Amino acid sequence: MAKKTKAEPLGAGGIKGVDLAEVERLLAFMQKHGLEEFEYERAGVHVRLKKASLHGGVAARTVQVVESAALPEAHAPVPAPAAKTSGDTHVIKSPIVGTFYSAPSPGADPFVTRGAKIDVGQVLCIIEAMKLMNEIESDVAGEIVDVFVENGSPVEYGQALFGIRPHKKK
Amino acid sequence: MFRKILVANRGEIALRVLSACKELGIKTVAVYSEADRHSLHVRFADEAICIGPPRSSDSYLNIPQVISAAEVANVDAIHPGYGFLSENANFAEVCEASHITFIGPTPALIRMMGEKDRARAEMGAAGLPIIPGSDGVVPDEDAAKQVAAEIGLPVMIKAAEGGGGRGMRIVRTKRELIPAFLTARAEAEQAFGSPNVYIEKLIENPRHIEFQVMGDKHGTVIHLGERECSIQRRHQKLLEESPSTALDAGTRDRIGQQVVAALRTVGYSNAGTVEFLRDGSGKLYFIEMNARIQVEHPVTEMVTQVDLVKTQIRVAAGERLEDSVGTFQAKGHAIECRINAEDPDTFVPSPGHITTFRVPGGPGIRVDTAAHADAVIPPFYDSLVAKLVAHGRDRAEAIARMQCALDGFVVEGIKTTIPLHKRILADPDFLAGKFDTHFLERMAPVEAK
Repeated sequence: MAKKTKAEPLGAGGIKGVDLAEVERLLAFMQKHGLEEFEYERAGVHVRLKKASLHGGVAARTVQVVESAALPEAHAPVPAPAAKTSGDTHVIKSPIVGTFYSAPSPGADPFVTRGAKIDVGQVLCIIEAMKLMNEIESDVAGEIVDVFVENGSPVEYGQALFGIRPHKKK
Repeated sequence: MFRKILVANRGEIALRVLSACKELGIKTVAVYSEADRHSLHVRFADEAICIGPPRSSDSYLNIPQVISAAEVANVDAIHPGYGFLSENANFAEVCEASHITFIGPTPALIRMMGEKDRARAEMGAAGLPIIPGSDGVVPDEDAAKQVAAEIGLPVMIKAAEGGGGRGMRIVRTKRELIPAFLTARAEAEQAFGSPNVYIEKLIENPRHIEFQVMGDKHGTVIHLGERECSIQRRHQKLLEESPSTALDAGTRDRIGQQVVAALRTVGYSNAGTVEFLRDGSGKLYFIEMNARIQVEHPVTEMVTQVDLVKTQIRVAAGERLEDSVGTFQAKGHAIECRINAEDPDTFVPSPGHITTFRVPGGPGIRVDTAAHADAVIPPFYDSLVAKLVAHGRDRAEAIARMQCALDGFVVEGIKTTIPLHKRILADPDFLAGKFDTHFLERMAPVEAK
């Protein structure tokens, strides 16, 4: 995050080793065949596509591109981009600048992981700012579907932290 | 020397500071609000951190966010620019406590100069001529009456925590005094958080003349000449020039030396501007000091060839002025026009999307701006679009170059005050160097608002 974050959409063609036209074709393929999840690996590039919505069109997606470490010119994993979500996924964004910690203390279990069911007001993480530990709470109840930031990374105002699929209201 | 500096500002001054850092080989960190996501200062910095939503109070004025960004980016120093946190003594203290160098004067001096009545008292005690007036804050109505009787009407009631032309009221008759006093206190409380006011004799038709100063951390203070800033609207400067046509060399040297001596006495360091009013008889009176770099600093830079922002960084890093500035000479004449995104006749703000932005150039022309074609001027911040500066061998050449440059400065999509500046640069009184702070009111009016 300390590096410049460009506000360009995913489709601006800036991901190494990925032919975005191909990703588009894969998404269309998924749509056509009603697939929920699709994963493949080719030439050191590992692509996983997962539909977030169960209804009708593919309303929300996360695209995670991880370059395999086995390649000679391996790069560090590309962090998951800020989710461009609509429909069901609720994104928790950082309200402050600071350092993101996924657990209450080093070595402890993280507050939440992917798949965890959480309530309104539940603490999801800590963001340290100016030597103060700020607990970040969820404002919805639901299931964690995405964790966008790595433990110990700096975050800025508005940066996506978690994607939550809210529980449907009864 | 610092490794990395965070610029706690936006717009043209952020770009200015980024350039100075880059020239010194220092890495840069920009902070920005969501409204400035695509700004040039964000794009040109080495790193950029979003610190809040558009409102200044939630972003550029948000001390915890700015400090947090500085810590996360691991910077050595923060340059506050002008406005925003640049004269916030508390912010300077928080920087110190966080082991980050604040590029500016010490918190104590920022505080001293920020309390206008105190600055007046201290500078008076240190030898600068001050306007006859109250001995500090005027506590109540009886005191106000007494001061007014002693110094004689008309008087000016000024907010102690004000400055920059705000929080001032004129009183011409005895009858107006107490109502004005009470209203001024109420306004001051509202605007600046303190109802404290002081009173000075009103100088009629003054000229505003200010001296640029710079101090290092080793006790040396220098002045870099004066700027004349009488062309103002509602106390906001529109045009500045150096040297002033109202000062002869003798007065300049004398006042300059007094300024340097006074600031050495109080231990001033880093950049600052000492403001004076000149009355009809030619006497100069200290009114206030701005403990920061100012908008119009390019005027002095063009005349002296001294890079004031680089010097700020260098003295903050501990360098001696004799090394970072050395000797310099004032050469020629410089004028600056502040081009604002406003209607040139009504001054109604005109934020929006710039479609055309053609900037003039040529010998002696400098343009400081963060605007460009396709940029959006957001409505949340000040309306400054660009600073157009012209330098020439003498005042006539600077004027001629400025007139040409204004003709060649094309901005479309928003309204700007370029037409107003063209009128000023064609005005006979301006050309003759005969004006005071009421110049703009007297300038041949355009059609009614």
